Amino acid sequence: MSNKRIRIDRFYQFMTYSAASIAVIILSMIIIFVISNGSGLLNFGLVVNDYHAKFYNGGIDNNITFSQTERPESLTSEIYYSEKWGIGLIEEENREGNTIISVEYIDIDSPLRNMRDKNNDNNSLSLSEGSIVSSIKFYDKNSALTIHGAEHMINELDTSDDFREIVYSSLGGGVRGSIITTLYIIGLTLLIALPIGIFTAIYINEFAKKNRVTSLIRSMIEVLTGVPSIIFGLMGLAVFVPLTVKYTQADSANLLSGSLTLAVILLPIIIRSTEESLKVVPDDFRTASLALGANHTQTTFKVVLPSALPGIMTATLLAIGRIIGESAALIFAIGTAIKDDISIFGKSTTLSVHIWSLMTDEPANIELASTIAIIILIIVLVLNLIVKLIAKRFTKNFG
Amino acid sequence: MENTVFTINNLNLYYDQFQALYGIDMKIKRNEVTALIGPSGCGKSTFLRCLNRMNDLIEGCNITGEVKFNEKDVYMNSYDVINLRTKVGMVFQKPNPFPMSIYDNIAYGPRCQGIKDKKVLDDIVKKSLTKAALYDEVQDRIKGSAMSLSGGQQQRLCIARAIAMEPEVILMDEPTSALDPIATLKIEELINDLKKNYTIIIVTHSMQQAARISDKTAFFLMGVLIENDSTNKIFTQPKNKKTEDYITGRFG
Repeated sequence: MSNKRIRIDRFYQFMTYSAASIAVIILSMIIIFVISNGSGLLNFGLVVNDYHAKFYNGGIDNNITFSQTERPESLTSEIYYSEKWGIGLIEEENREGNTIISVEYIDIDSPLRNMRDKNNDNNSLSLSEGSIVSSIKFYDKNSALTIHGAEHMINELDTSDDFREIVYSSLGGGVRGSIITTLYIIGLTLLIALPIGIFTAIYINEFAKKNRVTSLIRSMIEVLTGVPSIIFGLMGLAVFVPLTVKYTQADSANLLSGSLTLAVILLPIIIRSTEESLKVVPDDFRTASLALGANHTQTTFKVVLPSALPGIMTATLLAIGRIIGESAALIFAIGTAIKDDISIFGKSTTLSVHIWSLMTDEPANIELASTIAIIILIIVLVLNLIVKLIAKRFTKNFG
Repeated sequence: MENTVFTINNLNLYYDQFQALYGIDMKIKRNEVTALIGPSGCGKSTFLRCLNRMNDLIEGCNITGEVKFNEKDVYMNSYDVINLRTKVGMVFQKPNPFPMSIYDNIAYGPRCQGIKDKKVLDDIVKKSLTKAALYDEVQDRIKGSAMSLSGGQQQRLCIARAIAMEPEVILMDEPTSALDPIATLKIEELINDLKKNYTIIIVTHSMQQAARISDKTAFFLMGVLIENDSTNKIFTQPKNKKTEDYITGRFG
């Protein structure tokens, strides 16, 4: 008998251990996959750069004085350098995996530091390090293009005193816009969903009589939790997009309609978890408060709600996680246009949808997608810490 | 001032179909300690909760009869329950301070009545803590969490919280049943002090406690008030056989 008991014990222990290890292994596999794929592209520039490269057309005035500047010793051998123009070019791969020629070094006296903007005569342009040169067009010979290579470009420059225009651009592919959109969406959505959700939960748990109507409301909220988000996305497209277009300056799917859609998705989650945390507030607090001559509203907002705050903070965290992770609904409700100038009434895209649009490109850019995934992980981590800190401050006296 | 605080006439109480109290008639005198004794489930706590209408919170609870507080029936429709509860404070079986600071716990009641002046609140807090014999122990951590106090201190904090409302009556529902003997002794001493200024009605399971601290004792059995007399008489020459059986420990 006792042998059998030991065997059964071992079996159950084995089950719990193995289940826990499977969970840990899966989680670490995801993180390792994302980091190993994406860490190569992760740098500060990615976070602050625009997604769309800005193109410039620079021209030069005819009377240039060339001051031969010697090649600085710090330049490595892959860099092609022109003493005449004081510029060092290098061939690189950009975030999309294409070959580009970028400016690695430019001398302070280089004539390329002072060019005429061919698109705007009143403006002057200065080529700077990090810019990407896509072509140099000459008057008397063929243009030097990216496909000819950096060496060719330097040789062509060295053999001429003049050129018609140099076309260069900033390095694109950054995710600054998507990060800002994500933060905007988190803020806006919480601003809409948290008050409504919390007050609904308070109504259901503290004020509503326990009857058929409230239990119907409750089960409807439960059903809403299970509805796939893409259906909410359709609703966003059908309801919130026209609504925001009609009443705001927006002219198509926009950040506000996305936030409203997400708020609807979050409402059941926030209501449910707030309700759970209100339920675990001991009735002792309520009776004590009422016995002191407080009325129902005072009891609810001065005693019950503060006691439920840690639970509500957890609900907020869950909500933030859901906002960052949501892509299906947002594809409809904000659109997939990756933007650099973010406005609440304009189209733009969150990091998750950014990943989606990178992966639907042909070929899919898994590396950049993984890098964005790392950024998302970092944002989630930071927001987690912030919310926990706030919760700690609020609940100093609790517990 | 009238000498009788509560006059209860023919009070019946029902939880849905179940009748918990049967035709209670009772008078409670000012500045006396009245102990309610009886076996578990005899209706003494239910009766206590009728006095500040805390039974209103229980669904399906019906009451007939009169409970007159200072000559006014508290179950009249026009009666202000909030006002009643500020005049009739309550201390519960389990110490139940709010998860706030000691100061906020005591200031809670006055604040709910709209007192915002910090000086007035400071004064109320200090007075109440002193009256509840807690001030010396907590004066250096008055802004600290009430949850860090010991059980006995928490219960005295709850008494201080009730006193802060300046009630006429304090109802106590087995206030020492969750406490150790030393904390119990302190609460009993406190009750002795408080009866000079307040009317106290206390539910207790300990007959020794009732004998020690009360002036009047009422014995309840199965929802019926069997006997109500001075404590001395109840414990030395009970009129009713059931009372005698109970206090001599033959049942219950």
